[in-house]
Amino acid sequence: MTFLTYGPYTYTGLQSIIHNQAQPPAARLRPSSPATATMQGRLRRLLPAPPPSALLFRSLSSSPPPKGGGDGGSGVPVKQVTRGNLAEALEELRGRVREATFVGLDLEMSGVTSAPWRDTFELDRDDVRYLKLRDSAERFAALQLGVCPFRWDPAKSAFVAHPHNFFIFPRKELSDCPSHEFLCQTTSIDFLAKYQFDFNTCFREGISYLSRAQEEEALQKLNLLHQDQTSASSTTSEGDGDMPLERAADILFTERMKLNFKEWRDVIVSKPDSHLLGNTKCAAGQFQTVFFKMRPAIMLNGFSSHQLQLIEQVLRKNFRDLVYVCTFGEDDTSEKRVVYSDTDEDKILLMKDVQEDLLKSREARVKSAIGIRHVIDLLSSERKLIVGHSCILDIAQVYSKFVGPLPSSIKEFALSIHKIFPHIADTRHLMSVNQAVQKLMKQKSKSLSSAFSFLCPASPSYAMKPSSLSPVKIEVEGDETKSSCFISGAKHEAGYDAYMTGCVFAQLCTYLDIKFDQLSPQDNLATNNKLQKHINLLSPSWNSGTVIDLSSGMERPEPGYMRRYPAPVYDNIVLIWGFMSKVRPKEIKDCICKVFGLGSVISVFSIDSTAVLVQFKKPESVNDFLDLKAVLERTDSAISILHPLSTILEGGQTRAAKYDTYRDICSSSESKYLFADQAEAVCATSENQLQENVDDNLISGVHQSILDGTVLASVNKGDGTKSGSKNEGDADITCQHILDALHDGRALIGRRIRS
Amino acid sequence: MAAPRAAAAAAASAKQVTRRNFAEAVRELGAHLESCDYVAVAAQKTGAPTGWRRALPVDTAETAYLKAKLAAESFQPLQIAVCPFLLRNSSPSTLVAYPYNFHIFPRDELQLGMPSYSFSCQSSYLSTMANDGFDFNMCIYDGISYLSRVQESFARQKVFTPHLRPLLPSQSTSVADSVFKSRIKSRIMHWRKGYAEPNKKDDGSLVSSFSRLILGGETYGSRPSISIDVCSDQQVQLVLEAANHISDDLVPLVVPDKAGAARTVCVIFTSSKEDKNLLLMDIQQSTEEKFRGFREVIDLLSSSQKPIVSYNCLNDLTMMHSKFLAPLPPNMHEFMCSLKMVFSNVVDVSHLWRQIGPLRKAKNIQAALSYLQRQYFVPIEIKIPEQDGTSGVTKNEQNVLRITKLFAKLSNLLKISPEYQLKSGEQYAAVEEYCNVFYPSCMVEDSDDVDFANEPDTAKAVSTDNIIFLWGFRGKSVKELKSYLPGLHQIFSEDFEVKLLDKTCSALIFRNSDTAMQLLKEISSESPSLNSFFSEGLKAAGFEVYRKVCRLGLWDSDLAEALEGVSSEVAASTLSECNSSQIYWNSSLMLDLKEYLEC
Repeated sequence: MTFLTYGPYTYTGLQSIIHNQAQPPAARLRPSSPATATMQGRLRRLLPAPPPSALLFRSLSSSPPPKGGGDGGSGVPVKQVTRGNLAEALEELRGRVREATFVGLDLEMSGVTSAPWRDTFELDRDDVRYLKLRDSAERFAALQLGVCPFRWDPAKSAFVAHPHNFFIFPRKELSDCPSHEFLCQTTSIDFLAKYQFDFNTCFREGISYLSRAQEEEALQKLNLLHQDQTSASSTTSEGDGDMPLERAADILFTERMKLNFKEWRDVIVSKPDSHLLGNTKCAAGQFQTVFFKMRPAIMLNGFSSHQLQLIEQVLRKNFRDLVYVCTFGEDDTSEKRVVYSDTDEDKILLMKDVQEDLLKSREARVKSAIGIRHVIDLLSSERKLIVGHSCILDIAQVYSKFVGPLPSSIKEFALSIHKIFPHIADTRHLMSVNQAVQKLMKQKSKSLSSAFSFLCPASPSYAMKPSSLSPVKIEVEGDETKSSCFISGAKHEAGYDAYMTGCVFAQLCTYLDIKFDQLSPQDNLATNNKLQKHINLLSPSWNSGTVIDLSSGMERPEPGYMRRYPAPVYDNIVLIWGFMSKVRPKEIKDCICKVFGLGSVISVFSIDSTAVLVQFKKPESVNDFLDLKAVLERTDSAISILHPLSTILEGGQTRAAKYDTYRDICSSSESKYLFADQAEAVCATSENQLQENVDDNLISGVHQSILDGTVLASVNKGDGTKSGSKNEGDADITCQHILDALHDGRALIGRRIRS
Repeated sequence: MAAPRAAAAAAASAKQVTRRNFAEAVRELGAHLESCDYVAVAAQKTGAPTGWRRALPVDTAETAYLKAKLAAESFQPLQIAVCPFLLRNSSPSTLVAYPYNFHIFPRDELQLGMPSYSFSCQSSYLSTMANDGFDFNMCIYDGISYLSRVQESFARQKVFTPHLRPLLPSQSTSVADSVFKSRIKSRIMHWRKGYAEPNKKDDGSLVSSFSRLILGGETYGSRPSISIDVCSDQQVQLVLEAANHISDDLVPLVVPDKAGAARTVCVIFTSSKEDKNLLLMDIQQSTEEKFRGFREVIDLLSSSQKPIVSYNCLNDLTMMHSKFLAPLPPNMHEFMCSLKMVFSNVVDVSHLWRQIGPLRKAKNIQAALSYLQRQYFVPIEIKIPEQDGTSGVTKNEQNVLRITKLFAKLSNLLKISPEYQLKSGEQYAAVEEYCNVFYPSCMVEDSDDVDFANEPDTAKAVSTDNIIFLWGFRGKSVKELKSYLPGLHQIFSEDFEVKLLDKTCSALIFRNSDTAMQLLKEISSESPSLNSFFSEGLKAAGFEVYRKVCRLGLWDSDLAEALEGVSSEVAASTLSECNSSQIYWNSSLMLDLKEYLEC
């Protein structure tokens, strides 16, 4: 969850690597305060000369691509993994993860929200919030995966971290997979560019992937194909798909091929041994005899696909003992051969052999296409504690890209995530559960980099406030071989962010009074009783004010969350869209208040410039409003023009609906920039008309009641056909209101005439 | 300018333009546009629609436009190559080209979610671009920003930069107003005096700097200025009037707050008339950069009135229209009108090569070029004056040079001469004759599915009445369908062609429109003769349903899904009154010309 949460904040503290007595090759990370960080260079000069390994990290940090433009370079070596070194990196990571106490995880994405109105709002209902999350995870691509295993070293009494940064690109690896399309949010891409994200490496060298679901589907398809082909080859249908030979060129070519094959076959048959000597080209003209599965064969090179079709046809029609065989070589290039097989049984045997080879090679291709998912599978199978910062979107992305389509409800999502990653800790949530941390972070942004600079100060000499605890030591280990795939980590690079997250987590654990010293390697940190009650709790969005328990799928309020808006009552909410662009939310509130009474509207929340959510005080106002709107729209009289609601209804494009419609609109796969356009598109698609369920009978009744000066009664929810009964008691709109409104209107007109 | 050098198209290098050298490049381009005959344009985009969303052989101009509109709205151009060129029909003909390659990126400069909040990418496109050496970092870090014309005017209402405001004719002013005005006037005069008559008092330097301090003297850039707080537009007018009355060397700049209301008026003192002009130009330019960016190039192209030469015009020009002019109108006709206002003459090279019989089947530029190379002798000497030393030829500029070259050859063959065009009016029609005819390009450049390679290759006009869309056949191949359908109803024993449109839907093209109509009628009346057809789960609909699917923009699902959704409404109501149009059904669209030439 990188740009959403800590994008806008300034980065105050820079983590610098200051070498001291550490043994090479480990570069020791010692804390330094934000103030010293900016003087990284100077500090280094003050310290004893660093041994070569640390120097190497420094020199590497300036190697291309230039990272951080001077401010992001942290000096933490982060292993860069692209498709070139995936296999090797994966092997190494396997061991590291096995030894690790916990693993930091972070993802960089091509965007977060596909339209401004898809931002998560505090007053979103949980299902709507999940739909927005799902939309984001499904539409945007994951571009970088940061994985950083942290191993506790009792000898050093410190954590040893191995940050990895994987470049991801959804390349189309299997030919029969649909081409991948993803969305980029302009501001996100620009944001990544600001932090020197290397798009070239990502698009050229990024590692591709197949989700578990895609892999399964691909294998299934293969098996089906295989069955089809084996059954087809046993019952070779004659004359199937014959091409008529119309062009002279085709006829000539076919005849020539017939002769050539015959000649070659005759040679093979008459001198069964001669080809063993590799001495057949004399007779067969242009053909070079090779061997295919112990049988003499000819490679067909340099023919066009049309010609190959003709050849296949010739063989099928004229030669019982020559078989056309197409196989796939190493690099996915097809190789076509004509193989001699003397008996029918042998022919069947040969075809079976070929089919099985084909299946195997295709299976191998599917396996290799799994790519970066191996990393996720590894984390999952090791059942390690995964640590993220504000990580629900990261986790949703991981699910949608590497597991399968996201489930339809947040509960299902939580439970299936729990199956894959049994232990997830969110540092953002952990920060909110500890009083001491709360105090320390008071007024500070909860972004990752801000947490990192406050919780992981760079130097112990910069005495911490007495209240704070002595920080856990964390070292970063580079590779012994010093290969060039290490570059200095920078903020908003997934690998480095994963590292920062892990550091923050380690410090937070000390605040929770977890003693790493007393942790034996067999102990699972996740089941530590001090930590256990805080893990597997993720916030569905940064402003939801709730956490979801992954183990149960239940959502509950987050302690200490300060709401900006009063808790919404969804039954009291009306969604209005499509009003004139000049109408401001304030005016909407005012004119609804004119009709329904001063205190009738609790809040008007604007989704974007074209839509608002109006929360009424009473649930019955929702239907009243919808009915009144329908009436005003269908009556073409002075009342509808002079009515106070005409401000909202002006232009004739205004639509209103209940909150559930908002959910339906959010669940649509359409993505229009403006909410009103989106809503129209969704309505155009779905036949069921939205909330236009007021029948004419009611309208005439209501209309009449307006004209008569009688009372428009509230129409109870779920009882849309009840026409205006004359019940003063529960009326929301009184005659007086309407008359007042008419007076207002008249006054307006009067003024206009005067001026 | 460097001496022209003769260069083969492949070795030529265009000027790479990013926001770092944009201003300079625009100046040069302006000069080249002046002197050129035509401008070739090509764009490198992040993707193209797939499946049935791309232009299909069954598409009419209208539906093809809707598909192009979809593509233009979802995908993002990252490079636009612009190549003004001169053609001289000496022998050999000479072609002088000045290729520019503009890297653009839809950066949200004004934080308004413009020019595009988000855009789609096709990973296969990005892969291919990456393999061709496309520099994404250069494009994203340094690409030129832009806004379309409509977005610009919207932004100018929304985003408030210090600006000049015209002085309105003064209205009757109240007493309070005139008091305010005279007070401001004296304040400005006092302040101005410090600069306009500096050596009135020799010892006044200290005093005057004090008075500057007191009077709120500031600087605007290097020029002295004074800020006057205002609280209404009326007051702005008064300050403007006051400043106007005092002297010509004052430039009042209205500085708005975030909501756009004027907060202060910054009066800037200029030392001379030239200085004033300079200042006015500076103000203009800085806003220009934010509000127009790359669009300046489009505006230049438009105002130069030179014929635009492009390939795949429907796609590229809808893209240019939606990104740089205005949102695309709902139908083709309006689009053409709107486009014509900006680019009066657009030549599609593929329309040109369709004029030369044997070339009609050419699948892409390369195929057309290689055919011309073999079959015709059109010597052309290409000169590309060296523009700068950037190495590496990107795919996009290669494309624009190919278009240029192909156009040169074709115009030579078709005797389109820019020289006459310049001399006398009557020959001008020669180019115009070929303008503004766009072909929906059904040929995907790298199509990997070769269904049938060698069938009769004449495109024939087929009425949309003859087309039936069929779905629900569960992944049967064309061949299987052809043998399977006749068993279901006698209508299918008549002659028809089958073409898969996507995985779920195929088009049946009947020889006879009555047959198709009859089938639809029987389907809508659920005639019992179709029982086996229905029980197999098959569905069919006429062209009207497809048209509606395109019009409604139901692009998100499979074609079968979309047709299914719409067919229930349309089938009964509009069957009788559907207006038929024609498509050019070409059964051999998959023919690979290169292969054909090699045989």
